[in-house]
Amino acid sequence: MPAQAAPATAAAPVETGSIYDLGYRRYEGPRLGRAHAIRSLFVHSFRSTWGIGRGSRAKVAPFTLAFLATIPALAILAAQALLRQFPGGEGFSNQLPVRYETYASTIGVFVVLFCAAQAPDLFGRDQRHKLLSLYFSRALRRTDYTLARMAGFMLAVFLLQLFPQVLLFAGQVLLSTDVATGFLDQAPELAKAAAQAALTAGLLGGLAMTVAAFTPRRAYAVAGIIALFVIPTIVTGIVVGLGSEDLGRWLILLSPSSVLQGTNSFLFDVPIASDSGGLVPYIPDWVYLVVALGGIVGSVVVSMRRFRGLTV
Amino acid sequence: MALISIRSLTKRYGSAVTALDALTVDIEPGIVGLVGSNGAGKSTLIKILLGLVAPTSGEAKVFDLDVQTRGTDIRQLVGYMPEHDCLPPDTTATDWVSHLALMSGLPRTAARERTAEVLRHVGLYEERYRAIGGYSTGMKQRVKLAQALVHDPRLLLLDEPTNGLDPEGRDEMLELVHRTGTEFGMAVIVASHLLGEIERVCSYLVAIEGGRLLRSAPLGSFTEGTGTLAVEVDENAAGLAARLTEQGFSTAVDGRAVLVALAGDRTYDAVRDAVVELGLPLIRIELRRHRLEDLFRDDPAKPAAAA
Repeated sequence: MPAQAAPATAAAPVETGSIYDLGYRRYEGPRLGRAHAIRSLFVHSFRSTWGIGRGSRAKVAPFTLAFLATIPALAILAAQALLRQFPGGEGFSNQLPVRYETYASTIGVFVVLFCAAQAPDLFGRDQRHKLLSLYFSRALRRTDYTLARMAGFMLAVFLLQLFPQVLLFAGQVLLSTDVATGFLDQAPELAKAAAQAALTAGLLGGLAMTVAAFTPRRAYAVAGIIALFVIPTIVTGIVVGLGSEDLGRWLILLSPSSVLQGTNSFLFDVPIASDSGGLVPYIPDWVYLVVALGGIVGSVVVSMRRFRGLTV
Repeated sequence: MALISIRSLTKRYGSAVTALDALTVDIEPGIVGLVGSNGAGKSTLIKILLGLVAPTSGEAKVFDLDVQTRGTDIRQLVGYMPEHDCLPPDTTATDWVSHLALMSGLPRTAARERTAEVLRHVGLYEERYRAIGGYSTGMKQRVKLAQALVHDPRLLLLDEPTNGLDPEGRDEMLELVHRTGTEFGMAVIVASHLLGEIERVCSYLVAIEGGRLLRSAPLGSFTEGTGTLAVEVDENAAGLAARLTEQGFSTAVDGRAVLVALAGDRTYDAVRDAVVELGLPLIRIELRRHRLEDLFRDDPAKPAAAA
């Protein structure tokens, strides 16, 4: 009888949770060392930011935001494809409200939310579950850990912002009457968009990670990141409202999103969108670029100092 | 060359707390117990060896490499199991352990193979594909041990490996530690405040107290005979002690037992005669051995007083 055969073969009673030794073997293979560990942590950070390897619930927020950030590109492509069906629609389609130079600000809020939601999942999570002592007792150094984590996160933000514009690019090239000309026309614009996405990823990603580095508590980190991105803009508005326009103009450099608007207008050579109290930007465009780069370097340095001094 | 060599190692936290106080000790390969009460400096010592904590002064070398300058090289060949929880609840044991194998420098395929092997070695089977958040304490401890072993270190540093385990879990964990150390020739340092556990798995002991070295010696020398005879009687232990003291023996009373310093075979005769003369109901006579607990007492002859 099969019912009796099964227990007969299981001679040793199997208790769940007992330790059995089926043979531990020594490892004689290669040890690739520190550089390999850094690369692996970089990849892991990128994947973790998207929730990959952390269960299905961790993927909801990042992929929802990515989808929302892609909607404008899809909508534009759909509109252009439609307009092309009508005579004279071609010229009209160039007047569409979403273009490379406006895309960053169109999806800006999603990028900010992405940073606030996902940065604490890397630095905060490692501290919350006391994972750092395991990282720091391996082939990595503390600065390696910090850089790999930040770079992985920045790459995720970079793709979040650039991917929809790549779609836009591909669509427009295919929709253009002459594909080769379309490609040559659009490529420089896409390059500028990529540069802007890199600055956004560096500045917003860097600042978000820096805030996240200072608290294991997710809620505090999220609030801190949102505050850092929003409060300077409000303060600037108040200062301008109180009549100090000169001061207000310089305070705008404390607001990450305003700085990125500045770099955007620098890269695309368009006038800055004046949505913060009708400020006429007398600050030269290149100043925004310098401030953005300074912010990126600063956030990396502060984060490295944080982890160098942290007791684990 | 010693596996680990420590020279006047001092670690102060601020000005008030001294975790290690000019500790000097050499540790040879084997299964070494690092014993001391809570706060004796065990965890601090382990963290300094890993380069997680910088010493205030002094020097420590692992594999003859300085922990302060060659930390990265040392850490690739050391496995560390911390005392505290160090597992992400939303990740599976397989994913977490193989991730840490990569962090130790193993290639990706090797990391995956080693993870499967090591998780089997510690006794995790189907559970390893489930998120760690749902694990019992025993399973978590196994994952912690597995991540310390996954890159096949030459030295394993275990900080209170039986923390939070029930008696059965303790037995299994100690057995696993013992086998890892003996069968695979891996050097293991087990830090614990539970002397009974240390006794069962270690061949060598380093005892520290208040950041200072109490004693460093093979386990055998800790437990060899002390030359104390314990004579347990049902009544009048004080009378027996007095009688033996009159005859020139040094004695102490410990409850119903009289402890007599052994001075040759005549001690046994004297004890026998004294018991007979006083007409005492004798329960047993035994040769007392040092127990590890005695390390932490001022006077080994008076265990009750110091406890």
